[in-house]
Amino acid sequence: MTNVLWVRASMWSRLIVYVLLIGAAAWTLMPFAWAIVNSVKTLADTFQAGAIIPFVDFTPTLKSWDEVLSDPQVVRAFVSSIVVSAGTTVFVLLLGVPAAYSLARFEFPIDSNDITLWFLSQRVLPPAVVLVPFYLLMVQFRLIDTWTGLIFCYSTFNLAFAVVIMRDIFRDVSTEIEDAAKVEGASAWQVFWMIALPLSLDGLVVTSVLVFAFSWNEALFASALTSQDAMTFSALVLASRSTRGVDFNIASVNTLIGIIPPVILYFFVQRYLARGLSFGAVKG
Amino acid sequence: MAAARISRGQYGARLKYVLLLPAVVWVVAFTFLPLVSVIRYSFAAYVLGRGITGYVGLANYIEVVNSARFWHSIMVTAIYVAVSVPVEVALGFLIAWLVHLGPPGTRTFRTIIGAPLFTMEVAIGYLGVTMFSSQGGLIAVLLAKIGIDIPWLSSAWGGLAAAIVLDIWRWTSFMFLIVLAGLGSITTELYDAAILDAKNHWQVMWRLAVPLAWPVTSIAILLRTIESLKVFAIPFALTTGGPGTSTEVFSATDYLTTIQFFDFGKGSAMGIVFLIMVSAVITVFFRQMRRRLG
Repeated sequence: MTNVLWVRASMWSRLIVYVLLIGAAAWTLMPFAWAIVNSVKTLADTFQAGAIIPFVDFTPTLKSWDEVLSDPQVVRAFVSSIVVSAGTTVFVLLLGVPAAYSLARFEFPIDSNDITLWFLSQRVLPPAVVLVPFYLLMVQFRLIDTWTGLIFCYSTFNLAFAVVIMRDIFRDVSTEIEDAAKVEGASAWQVFWMIALPLSLDGLVVTSVLVFAFSWNEALFASALTSQDAMTFSALVLASRSTRGVDFNIASVNTLIGIIPPVILYFFVQRYLARGLSFGAVKG
Repeated sequence: MAAARISRGQYGARLKYVLLLPAVVWVVAFTFLPLVSVIRYSFAAYVLGRGITGYVGLANYIEVVNSARFWHSIMVTAIYVAVSVPVEVALGFLIAWLVHLGPPGTRTFRTIIGAPLFTMEVAIGYLGVTMFSSQGGLIAVLLAKIGIDIPWLSSAWGGLAAAIVLDIWRWTSFMFLIVLAGLGSITTELYDAAILDAKNHWQVMWRLAVPLAWPVTSIAILLRTIESLKVFAIPFALTTGGPGTSTEVFSATDYLTTIQFFDFGKGSAMGIVFLIMVSAVITVFFRQMRRRLG
């Protein structure tokens, strides 16, 4: 949607806006481009930082990709990340969406804004601070180095965000249809399950992608609580950083593998993202 | 209206608790109870394999307060947050404003500029090594060509600066996306009015967009500050805390104390001291923001 300010802007203003935007886009794309170029170089070629253009400056090769992807540990870590992130997303939605709906639609003895803030306040707690009790809890329940253990932890960290975002989305949905259904004799559960949820599908998708991306990103607990079987890709990257040092070509392939899945999800939902990130609810 | 209120009060009277309680119970069980046990461990002597062997009073705290490594990590974290968050807020707001103007190609710009939020931080830190390395790193080489030769990864300040640059790259997108959502609520009529009495484009931004987007922006600043204080992945993947422990942020120090040295008592005490400081900062910050909101 073009803003009225743009329509009335002078040539110079427009030029400045474009220069700044192109600058921002170039700055954003630069690391991606650098990683892609290095991922198709041989280790020897990576020492030539100036060799940028494939086929002209150097001969591209998929050897680094082959080397990384043929490592069973990499494949296993990738699968772990997918399972843990997806599992967390499902679990967080199961717990968080009903709570968010309840806070959006009903009145409580305590102001529902305060309850929402209470959920959000747990984000203040740095995960590193509760590492010890979580670690010991995992040891006790034999959940060290398991997907279940990580899903459990990540669900705890992401629940607050899901509640806050989904509450906002439910509050944006007009209550007219819900009221009509009530008049028709639908129960509160039916209204939630058959009307409110389907009307908030885009919000649900946005929330899912955010929770998935945040879980995918997590490295501290992944490194502390997994060692082999359930090691996620982020933990693997961190481990290989300290044990193997950095070969530019391998680092680039690893970076791209780590970046691609959530970024692809982002491309699909970015049109709806504004809805999930408006945080109107906690205005107080 | 009154009738609707009354009926709503009874409607779903039980269901609303059924829907809300699981999440509340979960948070109490897995956020507040762990916090209580951290407090307990912080007063305990913990031996791996044997559990708590006794209580040692304030010994863990005294050890933490006297630990140079701990205070250094607090300083590194403070500098990190104090530099990166304001830059991310300013850049995020400015870019969101430009995209909000809606020049042709807006959607492409929006898509590209929002993407870093979805990248994996340890991967960005790892890739950062290939950009800041003095042996063929893109940024290091480019800057060296124009005479700026900084020992990025072999010095404490260089390492911290490089990590902050990467943090700004990744997290500006967060501010950008939230502010953009906030700007979306400004109606066209308001612009028409603003254009009449503003001298130029930038005045419209300062007088209209900044105040109107402030409620959402202030929440974004608060969230960004909260998250930034937990920083771990980017600096740790970039420098692993080095050279030595000079770029170690708090979360990295606590992580290593707990997982590498299995010093659970000290790790817990460290966490509590940090949490008290963080809560104080966030509370003061939050009050200030509420006051400015009016």
